[in-house]
Amino acid sequence: MEEFTVIGKRISKVDAVDKATGRALYIQDFKLPGMLYGRILYSKYPHARIIKVDTEKAKALPGVVTILTGEDIPPIRLGVYKDNPPLKSGKVRSCRDEVAAVAALDPEIAKEAIDLIEVTYEALPAIFDPEEALKPEAPLVHEDHKTNVLKMPWNLHYGDVEAARLEAAFNVQERFTTTWVTHCCMGTSGAIADVDNSNNLTVYTNTQIPSLAQKDFQETLKALGVKDRRVRVIKPSIGGGFGSKLDTYAYEHLAILLAWHARRPVKILFEREEEFLATSPRQPTVTYISMGCDREGKLLYRDMSMVLDNGAYTSWGATTPSVMMMPITSLYRVPNVRYTAKCVYTNNTYCQAMRGYGNPQATFAIESAIDMLAEAADIDRVEFRRINSNRPGDVTPQGLRITSCGLPECIDAVSKNLDFGQPREKGIGTGLASLIHVGGGARIYKSDGCGTMIKMDDYGKVDVFTGASDMGQGADTVIAQIVAEELGVKVEDIHVFHQDTDICPWDVGAHASRTTFVAGNSALGAARKIRLRLLAMASKATGVSEDKLVLKDRAFFAEGSPILPLPKLLRSSHFTPKGQMMMADNFYDPENENMGRDFRGNMSATYSFGTHGVRVKVDEATGKVEILDYIAAHDVGRAINPMLLDGQVHGGVLMGVGYALTEQVILENGRNMNPDFRDYKLLTAMDAIHSKPIVIETVDEKGPFGAKGIGEPGCVPTAPAIANAIYDAVGVRIRDLPITPEKVLAAIKKKKGAVSCGIDVFTQKEQPCE
Amino acid sequence: MSREIKFILNGNPICIAIEEHWTLLYLLREKLGLTGTKEGCGRGECGACTVLVDGLAINSCLYFAVETDGKNILTIEGLAAEDGSLHPLQKSFIENGGIQCGFCTPGMILSAKALLDENPRPTETDIKQALAGNLCRCTGYVQIIESIEAVVDKRIEDINVVVRETGDSD
Amino acid sequence: MKKFKYLISKTLDEAVSLYQSHGDSAMYVAGGTDVMVKIKSGKVTPDYLISLTHVGRNSEIRINPETGTLHVGGLVTHRTLEMSPLIKLQYPIIHDAVQRIGSTQVRNVATIGGNLVNAVPSADGAIPLIALDAYVNIYGSAGEHSVDLIHFFEGPGQTVLMNGEILTEIVVPKQPPRTGGAYQKFGRRAAMELPLIGVGVLITLEEDSNRCVRARIALGVAAPTPIRTLGAERYLVGKEINEDTLNEAGKLAAEESRVRDSIRGLAWYRREMVAVSVQRMGLTCLQRINQLKAK
Repeated sequence: MEEFTVIGKRISKVDAVDKATGRALYIQDFKLPGMLYGRILYSKYPHARIIKVDTEKAKALPGVVTILTGEDIPPIRLGVYKDNPPLKSGKVRSCRDEVAAVAALDPEIAKEAIDLIEVTYEALPAIFDPEEALKPEAPLVHEDHKTNVLKMPWNLHYGDVEAARLEAAFNVQERFTTTWVTHCCMGTSGAIADVDNSNNLTVYTNTQIPSLAQKDFQETLKALGVKDRRVRVIKPSIGGGFGSKLDTYAYEHLAILLAWHARRPVKILFEREEEFLATSPRQPTVTYISMGCDREGKLLYRDMSMVLDNGAYTSWGATTPSVMMMPITSLYRVPNVRYTAKCVYTNNTYCQAMRGYGNPQATFAIESAIDMLAEAADIDRVEFRRINSNRPGDVTPQGLRITSCGLPECIDAVSKNLDFGQPREKGIGTGLASLIHVGGGARIYKSDGCGTMIKMDDYGKVDVFTGASDMGQGADTVIAQIVAEELGVKVEDIHVFHQDTDICPWDVGAHASRTTFVAGNSALGAARKIRLRLLAMASKATGVSEDKLVLKDRAFFAEGSPILPLPKLLRSSHFTPKGQMMMADNFYDPENENMGRDFRGNMSATYSFGTHGVRVKVDEATGKVEILDYIAAHDVGRAINPMLLDGQVHGGVLMGVGYALTEQVILENGRNMNPDFRDYKLLTAMDAIHSKPIVIETVDEKGPFGAKGIGEPGCVPTAPAIANAIYDAVGVRIRDLPITPEKVLAAIKKKKGAVSCGIDVFTQKEQPCE
Repeated sequence: MSREIKFILNGNPICIAIEEHWTLLYLLREKLGLTGTKEGCGRGECGACTVLVDGLAINSCLYFAVETDGKNILTIEGLAAEDGSLHPLQKSFIENGGIQCGFCTPGMILSAKALLDENPRPTETDIKQALAGNLCRCTGYVQIIESIEAVVDKRIEDINVVVRETGDSD
Repeated sequence: MKKFKYLISKTLDEAVSLYQSHGDSAMYVAGGTDVMVKIKSGKVTPDYLISLTHVGRNSEIRINPETGTLHVGGLVTHRTLEMSPLIKLQYPIIHDAVQRIGSTQVRNVATIGGNLVNAVPSADGAIPLIALDAYVNIYGSAGEHSVDLIHFFEGPGQTVLMNGEILTEIVVPKQPPRTGGAYQKFGRRAAMELPLIGVGVLITLEEDSNRCVRARIALGVAAPTPIRTLGAERYLVGKEINEDTLNEAGKLAAEESRVRDSIRGLAWYRREMVAVSVQRMGLTCLQRINQLKAK
């Protein structure tokens, strides 16, 4: 067992003191001299022609400085599909479409001005159901696109699914659906744009992708006719990310456009209602799955197809099938796999990345169906999973190379505790579900890299400039620990800068649970360069050979005794002839692969695994589900900071429980019906679940000190684990998230023979019990 | 309409002219520069703006600034001791993983303070109930609850030490 | 947000006369947690808020020693009710409700009078008080009068209050011995909820048996205003209170409720939950009566 002084320790977050004392600054807290306040007018209709936008009255309001409509801005297209202008002209395609923007002296005036803008619309037939949107007679959301189906051919077939189906002894065929849920970052979205007199642009913004945002903002400057100017992205403390900040949004570009026109800094800060209405939720899915196994329970095939409601524009939500492919092809050993997904334009809100990036939707279907298949085969559900578990050395049909893999250990850890030491009772049941996720970066772009620069001063204090982004998960703390361990200093000797593109090197962004692995390796590499130089210098200074020197606790040790304090060596490094500065940089880009045309490719340098177990009580009279116990086992490679790791798991689990049971963005005809915390059922402290995290350390050979990513996995298998437990408890299978008490009760009634549960409010028809 | 009010803010008397429609949150953040108190929803549903008024936790986003006249207000900026040493709750949140993105933290800590001032030995349910109005998306609340429990346990331990040292028993 | 003047009245008379001089452009305010939300969202646009917080009375909970009636001032906060040992021990049905209204932060400020005057169909504060046959005292320019709480509500946001009248006090008659009450707020989360349905049950038993001599079943969110389900109440009177009779009463109450579909819940489900909750709260009543006996 290696001995570490910092790695593996429960170290407090490096920014925690500032956050506990109210000193940490969020976008809410920033004010620049002369700053104006921007506000956005959104569409009244889910689909309508814009006949006229009359801004005369608004312009006349004292304190209004700039008003922009879709006609006033150059062509700018946002998003991965470049289909989303920051202000719409011609027509609106969803209720969150931006129609006009105002900059004024204070937020109240801006609000008043927005109310004074008169827009004349001509309503158009709209489409809200993605399966309906596939039909030839469906209204087109983007006429020039000619079809509502996005030209993203998510389509793979490895092996021969049809042959395997004939061979299978047991089969299941099911349909599962999931709906919109949203990130609910406690700090709302906001940005400040400031254009100087030479047209250099500074944007203060909540982003998980400072380097890519810089490029997006550069594009907007270019559209304004400005080339070759500096774009600086400053990232304040962020009040939660969870994937919501993986793209740039219209509001950021509108802040830039308004600032450009006003020649003054402009801040746009979302109110909570706006946060619900105008940020992008998790992608809803309709999933058809069939799966079969042989008599021994070995999976033979998995066949899945999905329809995804893309909404009116395209952000990362549309690309979640690229990640869904991972569990679909590679969660458990399954030789024959087919998957197709269609992303479909509708007049609903458009979707975005959210913790797990499609994996929770796919895993809900897969792990629910696994339980059903195990039952059909009359094999114990735990045993069934053991039989099919991934193992180190596997290469999956998609070409994922499984290196370290603690899935068998995770299944064991959960199964051992699955009854939680409690006797079986009526209405109480247990369930489990597993996950695979990228744990060593994910090559979405040509680069999956991250840069680090390290500077060490005369006193052994270290400045680390990383491309990584912290949104609260503790990226800066983990990087500080890695550097401290390598340089033999304490965490408090280290300052991690991650807030400013003028200072920090490039990085592809805080997504795919990649930061600990990629930014960690990047920092480790830079620290190692300095360490080697320090050892050489120390050896020269002391006459002790390098391999006999140990650097720890701010000193060099030989044979267990300190012989040279680190600061002393550092000072001598540039107070001697031909002195040197202790600085190093490193760019780390993991050895993972872009997907090929057949979607094969080892997208991550390593994979994280986990299994969750849950014990629930179902009230058969009300359909309410209560979580009694929860256990979450994760193969994380190595826990760099067990306290922060537990925090990721606890937070992920409760987010997963919300996904499973209570949360949904309710859209009726494209309109958000619950844009507040009263009706969006984010779970409270009273609902908190004391989950028990179990850490399996497989010490990955590629990971920094063996670590793999853990940001997302906590919320991936929660919903199917709970759905499986409900089935175990009362024998009803819920295939549609969230699993509300209504759905459970209706299913129980149906099981008991009831036909109708009442009249459906929307269809005015008898509502079947399902 | 403006009006002059006097109150104690983080231990210091203050006298300021305010507009009658201001909320306490607006007064704190926009006029007094105390941005440690956060606005998460503006309608009393998230608790990020929690401050203590005469020891009671309230949502400052819904509290009339004029009603602070004559009262004692504590915000997160006033919680540490004058020499800067942290309040036990602040320390505990830091050391026990009670903080992730930190946006809910000032409100969380102040709700916890109000609870412990009223009930020095709360049960887990008491703690959960006291925090029910402080939403958090990052932590799942587990380490927040543990942070508060650690303060309670420490206090009980300290009391026991005193009892042992002085030989008291009851 | 709409700007307003904040007028602090020191007496009820001053409040009423301020109201009369400003007419429709004025609103009373106590804790302000509802009023502020409405002003911020533009649902109300008063020029004047008349604060009742400083009128110097109506902020205590007391028992009239002569009549045994419980008097709760309109300005008593939910938190004060929640923490009151008197309420917790003698009126657990009220405690059930107030401890689940909003958050601690809201309960520290929001008043029971405000909760009633708001007259939202989901007002948790009203249901137990209706079950307890409470009446409210109302003060206005014409003097003081009383109204049974069940008749206080006229529709969503509508009450019998006219022309600057103020709800000063809630009075709960002395309850006969062997009376037990319980309230359930049925929601999706464990806290911060508006109820899908709110059910208050109050039962009085004969001296030496489980036979019911009086029953009250009050429902929130089951109609535009709080209601009592009289048929279910009548059914219980004279019956032995047990799971079966309560089950039947629950079904009757469900039939009497006028629930509807909304994004918060479907009517069929709300109806079912009325039935379930009436039975469960009835059993809690029984338990509580027996606990009293044990003491």
